[in-house]
Amino acid sequence: MKRLSIRKKKEARWAYLFISPFIIGFVVFMLGPMLFSVIGSFTDYNLTSKMNFIGLANFRRMFLHDDLFWKSLYNTVYFVLFNVPLTTIFSVFLATILNQKIRGISIFRTMFYLPAVLSGVAVYILWMQLLSPSAGLINTFLGWFNISGPAWLFDPNWTKPALILMKIWSSGGAMLLYLATLQNVPRSLYESAAIDGAGVWGKFKNITLPLITPIIFYDVITSTIGSFQIFQEAYVMTKNGTGGPANSLLFYNLHMWNKAFVAFDMGYAMAMSMILFLIVLVLTFINLKLAPRWVYYSGGDGK
Amino acid sequence: MKKLLVTGVLASTALFLLGGCGSSSAKSNAASSSEKTSDGKKTIDFWSFWGSGARKEVIEEIIDDYNQSQDKIQVNYKYQPWGDIWTKSLSAITAGNAPDVIVQDINSVAQRAEAQQATNLSKYVDEETSKDFYPQLWDTVEYKGDPYAIPFNTDTQVIFYNKKLFKEAGIAEKDLPTTWDELEKTAHQLDKKDKKEFTRIGFYPLWNLGADVWALNADNGTSWFDQDDKIKIDTKNKVEALEWIQDWQDYYGKDTINKLEAEFGSGVSDPFISGLVAMRAQNINYYSSLMENAPEDFDFGVIPLPEKEKGSGHWSWGGGFVLEVPYGAKDPEASYDFIKYLSSPEVQEKFGEKSFDIMASKTANENLVKNEQLSDKGRMIYQMADENFKNTVITPVPLAAPDYTTLVNEQIDQILLGTKTPKEGLADAQKAVENLVKQNN
Repeated sequence: MKRLSIRKKKEARWAYLFISPFIIGFVVFMLGPMLFSVIGSFTDYNLTSKMNFIGLANFRRMFLHDDLFWKSLYNTVYFVLFNVPLTTIFSVFLATILNQKIRGISIFRTMFYLPAVLSGVAVYILWMQLLSPSAGLINTFLGWFNISGPAWLFDPNWTKPALILMKIWSSGGAMLLYLATLQNVPRSLYESAAIDGAGVWGKFKNITLPLITPIIFYDVITSTIGSFQIFQEAYVMTKNGTGGPANSLLFYNLHMWNKAFVAFDMGYAMAMSMILFLIVLVLTFINLKLAPRWVYYSGGDGK
Repeated sequence: MKKLLVTGVLASTALFLLGGCGSSSAKSNAASSSEKTSDGKKTIDFWSFWGSGARKEVIEEIIDDYNQSQDKIQVNYKYQPWGDIWTKSLSAITAGNAPDVIVQDINSVAQRAEAQQATNLSKYVDEETSKDFYPQLWDTVEYKGDPYAIPFNTDTQVIFYNKKLFKEAGIAEKDLPTTWDELEKTAHQLDKKDKKEFTRIGFYPLWNLGADVWALNADNGTSWFDQDDKIKIDTKNKVEALEWIQDWQDYYGKDTINKLEAEFGSGVSDPFISGLVAMRAQNINYYSSLMENAPEDFDFGVIPLPEKEKGSGHWSWGGGFVLEVPYGAKDPEASYDFIKYLSSPEVQEKFGEKSFDIMASKTANENLVKNEQLSDKGRMIYQMADENFKNTVITPVPLAAPDYTTLVNEQIDQILLGTKTPKEGLADAQKAVENLVKQNN
């Protein structure tokens, strides 16, 4: 190992000092509780009266006996599988459109960003009204084209698509990221492409898309993690927070919450959170491994 | 300049460390210092979710009365929002910083007793105390023979009917429905149709009442679990109850029901007040909403839930809240003194008079039947509640499967959506809950 010069050492000390608030905060408020859940997942911990080591019993029960574990995992994976690509595509699409230089564009940008500013629960209530089967705006709109809309939140087959629709609508946050990146794409590239006779699609495919791949990559990773953690929506938008109808909105975290705070089976809930952690970890790892194949960093050394 | 920076950073890290590791000592300090006020009174914290309206006003009044009635204990009222109060108290108990008295759900007292979240009150409760409450309420607060809470308020399910519409349809008071068949007959007398659309619904059993209550009503007052915690989901009577609900569904048609439900959901107008629905099964507390929203001349009556067939019993279902001393509260004796005050018949009567809640104390409800402050209707409601309590069942959470409802509701939803027959659905629910009980043992 190379020895550091005195100056370097001093610099390193300073660096640690400056990041210490984060490190300490992380250890105390994140790492500590996380390690505690790792330990707790092998126990029958119930918060107040017991914490006995029971080995792998929680995990065995989860995989072999708890049907709701599989149901909630299925619901969550279904949601992630559709939500992540759809919101990503939609926000890229939106950002591209809003990147035009026309009059009043900032008004449109604000309008599309607005949903991201609104607080969660207010949006959910609003959407519950929009999705109302007979009087809701969405089905009224579909009615104009002679489509009789589904019962959305009342039909187990349509509850998850309904949530995904809502998520697409509120993807303004990601849109803003893409927009910021799009503005950084050098004009000269488009100009030279235009001289070479490239059309709109050609420009988008060969210039815009490669240059925003780092942000797409970032967005896919964060929204995958976020989608796995879906909870509030199901808690607020279903009757009594039960994840109905027919448990079609019983997401992983809702089931975990029920186990922890309804059944006081905290050990089991901790074991569930470990499994979710592993799933997300593996997915993120795969994402990172795949990244060099499609993510393009301009100005880098080709990696 | 450099020195300043170093000290600054060091100080902030030190603060961080203190905040993280010193929390337990800081907490115990706070607890001991808040135990006594300057005038030598003990201070206790009381948590409830009554943060607005009549309940808030009356509880604050009662606390003031209590604080002035004696000079040993000072009660601090702390409102906690409905959505947070119990998870918050759970973390407070876990952290050893529990409130002194809390309003809790009546159905999970034994569950908390088992998990040591509540204090055993047998030291403080005397023999006589239990006698003042409806016995089924008192049953819920006992765990292994010891009380862990004191019942506070409760409710029971009944049917409200619109007297004017009944008169128009020529249904006399003596013909009020007492069985399921009669209820169906009466309802269809009240139905109104304009061409093919219903413009008035006589009665639909699932509006403001759950399928679980009808199942209990049909099955001699036995809920999904019986008294001995045996699973009783797949029973002949419960299957018939769900088939009966399906009959109603078929009669009015799912489209009509969905459409109207969506309209009710918007909350613009109350369908019972507007006359769109002639009978409505609901928690008797609905009375307070009628008092607030119905016009002066709106006349309604209340009947018990009908029985499945003659002699099967007018079984109804109730819930409610209890007063509990969380485990680890600093002075349970002081806490109980306040609880005792809140559960005395006089205070109970006062709370009922102002909030229109049905109280846990039988004496209080009997006095409310005669209370001069209440209107005729109000007294009638208490009369009705007191009578209905003979047939009201409380369904405490079974310790072997506290979260079983997720499994049962899934099947009920499927039955009502028509993807499973009542027989299949309840058989599956029975199996699923048996599996859950097995997992917990």
